[in-house]
Amino acid sequence: MERQEILEGLLEVLRTVRTIDPARLEGVTEETDFLTDLSAPSTELINIAAKVEHKFGIEFEDDDIDRMGSKVKDVIDLIILVKARGENK
Amino acid sequence: MQVQGRKVAVVGMGGAFPTCTDVDDFGKKLFSNQSLIREWDKAVKYKKQVRSTVSGFITEEEMGLEAILAPLDEAYPETYVDRLGRIPDINLATADMGSIWGMIGALDCIKMAGWTEKEVRSEQTGVVVASGGAGNLILRVAWHYFFVHGVKTRIAGSHTVDRTMFYRDAANISCLIRNRGVCEAIGSACATGLGNIGYAYRLIKFGLQDRVIAGGLEGTALETFIGFDGMMILSKGFSPEESSRPFDMKRNGFVCSFGAGLVALEEYEMAKARGANIIAVIDEYFNNSDGDGDMFYPSFGGQQRLWSGLMPDKGLKPDVVKMHGTSTPVGDSVELLSVVDALGDSGYHMCAPKSQFGHMLGGAGSVEFIAALLMLQKQMVLPCLNSVDLNPELENFQKAENWTGPIEPLAAYRDLVPQKSFAKEINRVACLNYGFGGTNSAMMISRDIS
Repeated sequence: MERQEILEGLLEVLRTVRTIDPARLEGVTEETDFLTDLSAPSTELINIAAKVEHKFGIEFEDDDIDRMGSKVKDVIDLIILVKARGENK
Repeated sequence: MQVQGRKVAVVGMGGAFPTCTDVDDFGKKLFSNQSLIREWDKAVKYKKQVRSTVSGFITEEEMGLEAILAPLDEAYPETYVDRLGRIPDINLATADMGSIWGMIGALDCIKMAGWTEKEVRSEQTGVVVASGGAGNLILRVAWHYFFVHGVKTRIAGSHTVDRTMFYRDAANISCLIRNRGVCEAIGSACATGLGNIGYAYRLIKFGLQDRVIAGGLEGTALETFIGFDGMMILSKGFSPEESSRPFDMKRNGFVCSFGAGLVALEEYEMAKARGANIIAVIDEYFNNSDGDGDMFYPSFGGQQRLWSGLMPDKGLKPDVVKMHGTSTPVGDSVELLSVVDALGDSGYHMCAPKSQFGHMLGGAGSVEFIAALLMLQKQMVLPCLNSVDLNPELENFQKAENWTGPIEPLAAYRDLVPQKSFAKEINRVACLNYGFGGTNSAMMISRDIS
């Protein structure tokens, strides 16, 4: 899956998060930070992770989530990593 | 408006404590710096579904109880048997595990207090006990069979309401001891245990009751555990006894534990007149809200105001502060600094009982209150186990422009945070507990010196 395609899928997920102001989703790039740029409550990151798993048909390991940074590119990197891990099984 | 009110004494205590046979055993283990936290087989069974598998818990067998399982499901208790004959079957029938611990603890309290049957059954005797309520085995199984398997409502039995309603602990205790005064449950998340004792204190102080059995508890439930596990706030990656590490730099979450703490409160002059053993006097109870709109995070300002409410004239400084100290990254540092802000950087010590048995949620405040009572009795300070390294750098929030608190890092306060228990003259202990929703509660207790 291409990074741009993943980004668009991620944006679809973020639009369903009611505590993220949709106006802040305009112009999201890979450098956008969930906490500082989107003002997502930190407790929402876990819900976003669960929705991402559902959207992309993947399952994160606990360590993946523990180590994940809070930027969009960190999530895209992780999705690519986990997809590849799944394909290699 | 401050009302003087009557003086209130603590005259009894009891409960259910992880790995312990009774409150004496609890005291022995605590003051010998033991950890009561173990690998929890019920969590381990779910392998990769959970992140954390440690807990401070006590098994049915260790409490002298046994579940009679219903034909419905191997997880569903039809009722319990008390192998030690403390609680009659009719009272066990309406009780979940937590309520049974509450009843056992209440009987221990009454025995220690030396109350007569007439005093217990009086209109002047109340029960104020609650649990946290985030998870419930009986409800989960009953609902599963109704909604998923389509069975009739009666198949889950006729004791789903009484064994799961919010105030089941108070109700079961009251039915057992047959008091005729107040019977209520006060909920305030992780401040519940102290909040019920505080409410009971006010009932006696303001002349509404003469005696109250009060406290909080959290019955064993994986259903509760997984809620916190899903928030990724439980401790992970340490051995069981090293998992709960309040204030330590490596802390990454709390240990979800279960237990019960009950105390007997009585109007002081009445207790004195009948020659009761006064374990402690309650000097003050104060509670408030953060008021900052945040469900989860602590508020330095809220805790500053808590101390102003507890010690309005800055007199009555405690010798020991029994911290809430959960072992969460943010909570511990805000709390330590708010205590330093209120009391200064010397002349007292902090202890963190959660380091020894984890966070008992609805039971935390009252079980830790009992730990504070034991400190007064034994004249020993309890430790902050596993607080090996305190942060030598400032916390991020200390660098913020609007920060008005202490400007030293946590490591500067090493002397206040003992890693082992030690003897000290203790006349006064402050107890702190906070909960989701921004609730803060504090109680000051002292030795009876008269």
